[in-house]
Amino acid sequence: MKRTNSLLENLDPRSKIISFLAIIFCMILTPITRLKDFGLYFLVILVMAFISRIPPRQLLKRVCVLIPFILFIAMFVPFVKQGHMCWSVKIYNWELGVTYEGIWTFLNIVIKSSLSVLLLVIASSTTTFSDFLKGLDLLRIPQLMIMITSFMYRYIFVLFDEAKRLMRARSIRYFGSRYKEQFRVIGYMIGVLFIRTYERAERIYNAMIVRGFNGKAISINHLRFSYMDFLFIAGIFISLIFIISGLIYKIEHVKINDTHLWHGL
Amino acid sequence: MARIIKVLNLNYRYPDGTTGLNNVSFEVEEGETLVIIGANGTGKSTLFMNLMGVLDGDGHIEIMGLTLNKLNLKNIRREMGMVFQNPDDQLFCPTVMDDVSFGPLNLGWGKNEVIKASQKALALVDMEGYESRTSHHLSFGEKKRTAIATVLSMNPKIMLLDEPTSGLDPRSTSKFINILYTLKSQGKTLLIVTHDIFLAQEIADRVLVFSEEKQPVAIGNYKEILNNTDLLLKNNLVHQHRHRHEEVVHEHEHKHGYSHKH
Repeated sequence: MKRTNSLLENLDPRSKIISFLAIIFCMILTPITRLKDFGLYFLVILVMAFISRIPPRQLLKRVCVLIPFILFIAMFVPFVKQGHMCWSVKIYNWELGVTYEGIWTFLNIVIKSSLSVLLLVIASSTTTFSDFLKGLDLLRIPQLMIMITSFMYRYIFVLFDEAKRLMRARSIRYFGSRYKEQFRVIGYMIGVLFIRTYERAERIYNAMIVRGFNGKAISINHLRFSYMDFLFIAGIFISLIFIISGLIYKIEHVKINDTHLWHGL
Repeated sequence: MARIIKVLNLNYRYPDGTTGLNNVSFEVEEGETLVIIGANGTGKSTLFMNLMGVLDGDGHIEIMGLTLNKLNLKNIRREMGMVFQNPDDQLFCPTVMDDVSFGPLNLGWGKNEVIKASQKALALVDMEGYESRTSHHLSFGEKKRTAIATVLSMNPKIMLLDEPTSGLDPRSTSKFINILYTLKSQGKTLLIVTHDIFLAQEIADRVLVFSEEKQPVAIGNYKEILNNTDLLLKNNLVHQHRHRHEEVVHEHEHKHGYSHKH
């Protein structure tokens, strides 16, 4: 995605990781019955989307790619979950019913996942992958995990290319006959891909050890925590405290000189 | 000039029993460019892996006066860098800068020193401004040049280059040869594995020929070796080439960069 040089993009990845994880954590712990709270979470996320300067169309496009997967996972829950019947229909001898508990669980999955996906899209659009990994490293995430993720990101495209070349080599010699035989051929191709990957891994390891690798990956840290990062984290945490504690609803009832606070506004 | 590499009676067998190297002996002088030529599968790359201590063959290897063994391996790798044939194997970090700084950071250099060395290496291979680029988005020629920078940043005295010009287009090849000239002028000892006779002609001080028996069969001045057609033919480095000059069809050995008259 094109860099926007927005406030969110210039933040240290650590502050984004901490803040975004805090929001996700709070969302997970909030009972789905407090629907108003999720509206507030959505508002916080919208503010972040706004300061990230990601074009709304692009944001929606990316979110919409993932939403169908969430819906696919959640759509059966209202029918499967046991509980108090809300609605049912009889088809011959078979009864299809939707329970209240099922609907709540459906909403629980869809709302929390969709908001998390929205956060993920904002995070991935404003942070390069290498910065994200550096942020994780500085947050003391096990290095082995970071290295595996880094290699996966670096070589997944190389592997795709290799697989594509194998497929192409097969397709130019395949003329549509002996359909069943093709399963065996696909099996061979997967095997060849595994062997090539293994050999590549050995060559990469050799390239690492000849440059002094001894099990610990070191990289130049150009990240710096600025006052903006502290302000951002503080802003997110204060918003979360307001939402979780319900303080925001109490403010609604605060009276000054026997008048509701919001009347004065 | 002082001797910088000495290989004596080096033998290597792969785990499946295949011979990788068969009684290899040669010496390299400091600041020299030795081009190792040989057909496919003659053990050229295996020799490099043995020199870097990645493969452990039988025999004696001495680099900068240090015998290659577990004790001296780290010190040897500080002074000797290797550029692999496939740059995708060498560039494994998320960004170009991460790749180029990988070696110096492992050597324990300070942050400023690492940044300075990395930028200098990138400038030398004409890759300035690519620091934050992702390696897999580079063209093949750019990847090859970055691969050289990953080794140059460690400022090694000796550089081993495995098939440096394979897969490069003519312009990238010529750019690459210029880089090799620069390294040569800096006094670095270069060992280059190739079967590109043209590259050998361009850059070599001496040429070492590997036979299909996986052992050196000739070593000497590049003119002397590259003009020995029988030697090159026998070792599959030139081939009989049939072509037509108007009405005359004839066969002769095919070498790059050589013209002939009829």
